[in-house]
Amino acid sequence: MQENTLSDAQQQIEMLRESAAGYVGRNIDMKRLRASRGTLPGYEAEHLRHMAELGWLGIVVPEVYGGLGLGFAELAVVLQELGKGLMADPLVPATFAARVLLHGDNEALKQTLLPRLLDASLLPCVAWQEGLGSLDTAAIETRVEADGAADLLLSGAKRFVAGAAGAGGFIVSARGATGCGLYWIDAKAQGLTIHHEQRADETPSGLLQFDKVRVTPSQVVSAASPEGLAALERALDEAAVLAGAEMLGVIEAALQMALGYMRTRVQFGKPIGSFQALQHKASDLYVQQELVRAVRDEAVHVLDVDTPTVERVRMASRFKARASDSGLRITREVIQLHGAIGFTDEYDAGLYLKRALVLSAWLGNASAHRRRFTALQQENGI
Amino acid sequence: MSEQATQKDWNSLDDEEFRGIAAAFFQRHVPQHLRHLSRRPRWAEVKDWYLTLSKHGWLVPSWPREWGGMGLTQSKILVYLEELERSGAPRVMDQGLMNIGPLLIARGTDEQRRRFLPKILAGEHTWCQGYSEPNAGSDLASLRTEARIEGDEFVINGQKIWTSVAFDATHMFALVRTDKTVKKQAGISFVMIDMRQPGITVRPIRNIAGHEELCEVFLDNVHTPVANMVGELNDGWNVAKALLGFERIWSGSPRQSMLALLRLQKLAQASGKVGDPAFADKLTQVTMDVLDSAAAYERFAQIMRTGGSFGFEVSMLKIWATETCQRVTELMVEAAGDLGALLGDVDVDGEEMDILYPFLECRAFTIYGGSSQVQRNILSKNVLDLPS
Repeated sequence: MQENTLSDAQQQIEMLRESAAGYVGRNIDMKRLRASRGTLPGYEAEHLRHMAELGWLGIVVPEVYGGLGLGFAELAVVLQELGKGLMADPLVPATFAARVLLHGDNEALKQTLLPRLLDASLLPCVAWQEGLGSLDTAAIETRVEADGAADLLLSGAKRFVAGAAGAGGFIVSARGATGCGLYWIDAKAQGLTIHHEQRADETPSGLLQFDKVRVTPSQVVSAASPEGLAALERALDEAAVLAGAEMLGVIEAALQMALGYMRTRVQFGKPIGSFQALQHKASDLYVQQELVRAVRDEAVHVLDVDTPTVERVRMASRFKARASDSGLRITREVIQLHGAIGFTDEYDAGLYLKRALVLSAWLGNASAHRRRFTALQQENGI
Repeated sequence: MSEQATQKDWNSLDDEEFRGIAAAFFQRHVPQHLRHLSRRPRWAEVKDWYLTLSKHGWLVPSWPREWGGMGLTQSKILVYLEELERSGAPRVMDQGLMNIGPLLIARGTDEQRRRFLPKILAGEHTWCQGYSEPNAGSDLASLRTEARIEGDEFVINGQKIWTSVAFDATHMFALVRTDKTVKKQAGISFVMIDMRQPGITVRPIRNIAGHEELCEVFLDNVHTPVANMVGELNDGWNVAKALLGFERIWSGSPRQSMLALLRLQKLAQASGKVGDPAFADKLTQVTMDVLDSAAAYERFAQIMRTGGSFGFEVSMLKIWATETCQRVTELMVEAAGDLGALLGDVDVDGEEMDILYPFLECRAFTIYGGSSQVQRNILSKNVLDLPS
């Protein structure tokens, strides 16, 4: 598709896309990625430093905190390109944390933590889910109780914490006497133990145990109240959209791989891509890919303009559901289109399927988001 | 209305201003009894409405103003069509407005334009499209209706089929075989035929929804002047392809699935099915499919608005929009339970609705205008660059 005139915003987006695509082109290395599987922290420190140098860690961080102050449309194209090279981690987990901080009301903490995130000297992560995982942010048993006049003690367990292995600290949700709140806890805090579960792509996901971890007033991101998780909920929607944006890149790379194979693999004396059954399957996957792209465009727009909460939640769920469903379907079918070679560990198709499995489940899979969407429709009588 | 729409420069307005004006115009002028019909009305029923549009200069959004159109840009045409649809206006005889008119303006001779365009505006000529034949459906280029040159006339023999509303048409534009000795696409010409002559027989075909809109048209020694050919002899295939500009995006618009979804939501409320979690999940799934279809459409419309261009990738729109529409109507039948097998309007807890009609009607959407399978062939070859 071509557009005659690019607005300034579109030019900005194109520049970022080119920069990210160039970075991936120069640094993509599946051999290294395979070698690092199962190791901590699950991404390369050097890669994180580059993200900082290129400004990507601060794309949606306002300029007053040293960020670029751009929008989700800009960040989405960077993630899309990084997704193609399976190189996006830990950009989404870091941005998720930055956005919770930004939506919270602890100005001093923003001023301390955000510049350190931007120069990659500290990676903050969000620890909000427990047990079997749920999109209901208030379905938590982690608690804070008062200790003395001003301090709190936080106890409980958190799960599915992406980026935890390299994190310098966590924004943790917990229930208090007056509702739920959000608290900043250093990774080295006394009473915190960190374990890891291995995800489908052999990157770690944090399992955090808090045993009476001290929280001082300066560590309160958002005080316990009936609306104490609003900052988390808003950032969760943003992060879900970003995970979907990364998924689009995974989808594009996987589908391209299959199409390339279909053009060259010869069976029955012809390239298999000449067979109509396979052509139609590939076309259906292309339709799904383009839907993800179109809904991505709509979703980042909704985040970038002022949107009522209900609309934002609906949009995030619609996009994450589409990206999760389509991402899994496409990367699965890409294995099938390759035949036996696609089933081997040495072929890259499997890496894309496994990344899609991770991105699909993380921050709510398709059915979780459909349930959330349904509940919202019914509450609002739509 | 004091001012003729054709004299106004609508393109100086922004799209949303124009949308407001168009909505108000249709709201005011579409006859009440013709709104939101569940069938396509006959010409006699809608001719007055057609002439009202014509009188105000609102009949043809796409034609240049010098020919009596509104001269709208592509994006304003979309706005026009969206608002027309929203108003519940009935479909009129539109092949002249949407197809042959723009084609004559782009590729016709001056004489053809002067002869035909004013008659379309006046409602004196109504057009139908003679493309498909019994043995030329998806493989349209294999058509066999033959036109022989005799002096300054063509003599035409053959049969067309799936011709919409041919019984109300005074004219047909058709693809005919003018050379049997060359590659099939290279021996086709594009001709305009007056249907008010001996040798033309129109026979309606009843469709599975019980309506008679499609026709067979038999041509037995039918005459038309060679001057009624559009483009060069044997260049008709290219002429027909040039016609497909606008239709490619409009045929993938979410309007039909949105209407179907509204009906489904009404049924789900009335029948209490919304409370069933298994059904609610399916409803959400198709709701998202429809909204995502709208997002995809919007993406192409946006490109059009900014003066950009796109290629064959637009085929994804029609595949998704039409197949989504079918899924919505399938769920409607399922949600209706035993009522889903009843013909005509049924009472669902005080709400009168026809459950089966949308389901049956939209079987056609994935067949006409390039079937879903043809669209997939197009994507495979032209977008995905797969070998043949």
